[in-house]
Amino acid sequence: MNCDAVTKSIALYCYGELAPDVEDRVEEHLDACSECRGELEKHKAMAAALDRHRISPPAELLSECRHELARAIYREESPVTRRISSDPWALFRDAFSSLLHPGIRFRQPAGAVALVALGFFAARISGTWNPATTLAGFTPDAVVSSIRSVLPDNAGRVQISLDETHRRVISGRLDDQNIQRLLLAAAREQDNPGVRVESVGLLKDHGGTGEIRSALLEAVAHDPNPGVRLKALDGLKRFSADGDVRRTLAQVLLKDQNSAIRIQVIDLLVANQDPSTVSVLQTLIGKEDNNYVRMRCRDALREMNASVGTF
Amino acid sequence: MLQDAAGAVAARAVARVDEAAVIRAVQRGDQDAFEQLVRSYDQSVLRLAMNLLRSPEDARDVYQEAFLRVYRNIHTFRFDCSFHTWLYRIVTNICLDHLRKRKVRREESSVVETSDGPVDRMDSFEEEGSHSDPERTLWNRQLGNRIDAALGDLTPRERTVFELRHYQGLRLRTIGEMLGTSEEAAKNCLFRATQKMRGVLGDLV
Repeated sequence: MNCDAVTKSIALYCYGELAPDVEDRVEEHLDACSECRGELEKHKAMAAALDRHRISPPAELLSECRHELARAIYREESPVTRRISSDPWALFRDAFSSLLHPGIRFRQPAGAVALVALGFFAARISGTWNPATTLAGFTPDAVVSSIRSVLPDNAGRVQISLDETHRRVISGRLDDQNIQRLLLAAAREQDNPGVRVESVGLLKDHGGTGEIRSALLEAVAHDPNPGVRLKALDGLKRFSADGDVRRTLAQVLLKDQNSAIRIQVIDLLVANQDPSTVSVLQTLIGKEDNNYVRMRCRDALREMNASVGTF
Repeated sequence: MLQDAAGAVAARAVARVDEAAVIRAVQRGDQDAFEQLVRSYDQSVLRLAMNLLRSPEDARDVYQEAFLRVYRNIHTFRFDCSFHTWLYRIVTNICLDHLRKRKVRREESSVVETSDGPVDRMDSFEEEGSHSDPERTLWNRQLGNRIDAALGDLTPRERTVFELRHYQGLRLRTIGEMLGTSEEAAKNCLFRATQKMRGVLGDLV
């Protein structure tokens, strides 16, 4: 192989994309040719410079993207809500139709109510309470929670009184009690599993207070989203010796449908063994479908010198 | 040691099985499963879009459009390739469209005119390995501008192949699959891309 051919192959060589026999020939040549080794070093320097120039998207952008996606999906699901944000007048038509047909209601995020209730102290945390920019008297991010009154006049106009919820940005330290209370509310945000995952993930590192520990136990036992349950489980790791926590984990182990969660629960229960662990594992092994979980159960029981089956 | 390795293999196998279960749940209309699926991949999707398009606004659009397409079309996913390949095929197609449109509009630069003068929107985004030394920062910025210029010289396809190979670490065979082309064509693209980059950056590194 000559210098020209090797120079042309250097990039693919660095990426490990040459056929093995070509790679061998390139290496043979590089061993013998200092000029081509210099070319290789230049390529590596360029690759290193490109590595340093890699852009990392900030967490806020990711969080905004997730929020916007959730909204877009929500709109796809609910044609009524889609019309709210695209055409304010459609809102009024829908509002009337919902009054005429009480069965059809605006779907209101449950968490919004909690956040409105917490609004007073939340406002004090941030010090600023800027409403979203208004557009023709109607905020683009507004969600109508209820219509209070509808007053038509003789000139063909109508006055409608409605309550809106708006998005607010609150910031504060994680160890701030008010922030923690907001996170506790967010951890129960029924309509948005993404918010629950994020909130439980943040609360898990501050599980010292009884309230937070209870929230984590509630999440691990009842949250429909496995991502949230995994985060809560992570937060309960350091309390795996606690009796209440172990009782909840035993229930989770026997009823959770997600095998990854069952595996983690086994690890936690086995880390602090007590006699009840054996019977829970024996019960599980009798009904477990997942081979890997069964294998973990068997290993755990063996470590505890317990029999796999009950007699 | 061997047991650890076996454990890791088993854990990966469980993860694959779990992902298939999650995808099936999404196909049945489970919203929580969709959320879980998005969260498994969305950071890398945003990173890919951001690095390819060098614009937070465009990256945001790509993120939304890609996952909406997944949401609408997940029922057509038949497990004949990995979900990762399927998703990245969607993302790279959208990115390629953006890059092609941008070529037509000639809006490659991330610099925008403001009342305070020209501002590079990408300056507000952290580059990995950024330095606190001002001299080094200036040098990095100059290098960064040259790298942006070099990337701007690549065709959309070359840029995509380069991004997927260099930054995302994907094999050329997988990249070929994603872009609906052969491994050989992807290899040629990567070769041309690196040649062009060397041409622009050769004296700086």
